[in-house]
Amino acid sequence: MLLTHESDSDQLLVATGLVKHLGGKRVVDGIDLVVAAGEVLGLLGPNGAGKTTTLRMCYGYLRPDAGSITIEGHDLTREQDAARRVLGVCTQDDTFDTDFTVKQNLVQTGRYYRPRQHDIDRRIEGLLDQFGLREYADQSPETLSGGYRRRLMIARAVVHEPKVVFLDEPTTGLDPQARVAVWELVRSLREQGMAVVLTTHYMDEAARLSDRLQVLQRGRVRAQGVAEEVLGDVVGEHVVLLDNNEPRTAEALQWIERELRSRAKPSQVLTQWHVPLDAEGLSRFVASFADLRYEVRPPTLDDLFLALSEEREP
Amino acid sequence: MMSAYRPACQWQSRAVLMRHLRVHVRNWHTMLVPPIFEPLILLLAFGVGLGRQIEAFAWQGIEMSYLRYLAPGMLAYTAFMIAFFQALFGAFVRMHFQKSWEGQLTTMVRLEHVVWGEALWAASYATGYAVVLGCVLAVFGAFGRLDLHWQWLPAVVPLLFLAALAFAAVGLYFTAVVPTIDHMSLPFFLVIMPIGFASSTYFPLPDIAVLREAVQLNPLHHLAQGLRWLLVAGRFTWHLPAAAGLCVGLIVLLVPLDMRLLRKRIFGEA
Repeated sequence: MLLTHESDSDQLLVATGLVKHLGGKRVVDGIDLVVAAGEVLGLLGPNGAGKTTTLRMCYGYLRPDAGSITIEGHDLTREQDAARRVLGVCTQDDTFDTDFTVKQNLVQTGRYYRPRQHDIDRRIEGLLDQFGLREYADQSPETLSGGYRRRLMIARAVVHEPKVVFLDEPTTGLDPQARVAVWELVRSLREQGMAVVLTTHYMDEAARLSDRLQVLQRGRVRAQGVAEEVLGDVVGEHVVLLDNNEPRTAEALQWIERELRSRAKPSQVLTQWHVPLDAEGLSRFVASFADLRYEVRPPTLDDLFLALSEEREP
Repeated sequence: MMSAYRPACQWQSRAVLMRHLRVHVRNWHTMLVPPIFEPLILLLAFGVGLGRQIEAFAWQGIEMSYLRYLAPGMLAYTAFMIAFFQALFGAFVRMHFQKSWEGQLTTMVRLEHVVWGEALWAASYATGYAVVLGCVLAVFGAFGRLDLHWQWLPAVVPLLFLAALAFAAVGLYFTAVVPTIDHMSLPFFLVIMPIGFASSTYFPLPDIAVLREAVQLNPLHHLAQGLRWLLVAGRFTWHLPAAAGLCVGLIVLLVPLDMRLLRKRIFGEA
């Protein structure tokens, strides 16, 4: 089921039934995506969930084995040029051109699009200012810090004023200050009316930036919606924290496994067990282990990752 | 099948070609050093130096200096070797280390354009190299050290481009299949050097039946012999259409194969 809050006319990216095999493995298995103008969709999931492969199909780098993708109404297979003209990509690795300076990178990237931006020079000057790259304009990108390299990658992705922007883990490896700077840039893209698809491992980033989340697991959509809905769907309403040093913790875990048999399994984090439970499960647990010391808190997106990695096959 | 060739004429392939040209033109002063000095050194060392040791040299019954024999062979060899090297090492570095291919492939440029852009660039660069070599030869001619049918020299440029394009397609084949840059010595020593020397470029081939038959399939041999007949004797021989035919055959055969193998290598797709 496609989940979107926008009208069809606002939908800039519509991907349906995407399937991809790589190395004999079904990496993506029937994924649907819809993103509207001015919306940020966060794609979440553990390593190997199919996020990057899904993204690569959506921007035309990989060919889907099945399914269809339209970008602003253009079929990505049949109208490749029209579809690719309106999308921009920031890859996970730095793929800027090391033979050119920062500014020349923007100029050269603009040359890979037709029809050309009519005011490309002004656009590039504007991007140098907007992305804080002005003072590095004549330097080689290899001399930039990680944060500025990412800025350049995002600036390259939007140099031709695309409608849909794909950001594949844009802040991985950055320090907190650089991450916040990238967040601001992502927000500015949304404010300009671009549809943004973002993959990330950082839960706080996904929650802050995304209007909607789509959680992938083993190549399928495991949950989707706003952060609270996704958490409720995958993790449950509560997380019980059990101290591993408590004598009855092992007994409690066995009881949970035997009696509740919830899909999300407990996960061990250092000296604690994190146990996702729904409201009914929590009340039964409380009744059964009244004298046990434990903490209860609402689930976070970190719990989502832990739950997904521990989750049983359906 | 046609879809492999049509991108050669599309603007994206030109955009890739122009990207490489811009990078090289920016360093034009260093870029001009090899095509001027390499043939100069070779002509002085082999043509003049070694040639002086060879008292009587005849090719196809025509007595000539070794320098005169060597000059057309160098033109053919340059188109061959420079195109091959650009398409092998240059393209591999851009694909594997610089990741500039990946950057291009996220734009309106597709793999077919990257492949054609690389092949056209390698061919253009090799042709430019051969043109500079032609100028160096003309200087030798101006000083009375070399006598060729100079009026044919500009006419062979399109054929040199075609040959270089074919040799670039060979280079891209190895770019697609060599596991690492360290493995590039294998195609070089096992394929390229044997082709390069069994080609009548630097010396006449011995009259051995097997070799005589084998070189009929070597486009470099026909190119060298065809250029030699044209520039030394002023005669258009069957070697030139044979070279053109074999080069077209290589392009038709190898470019789609290059694309298929590179698609598999880069995208993991069959």
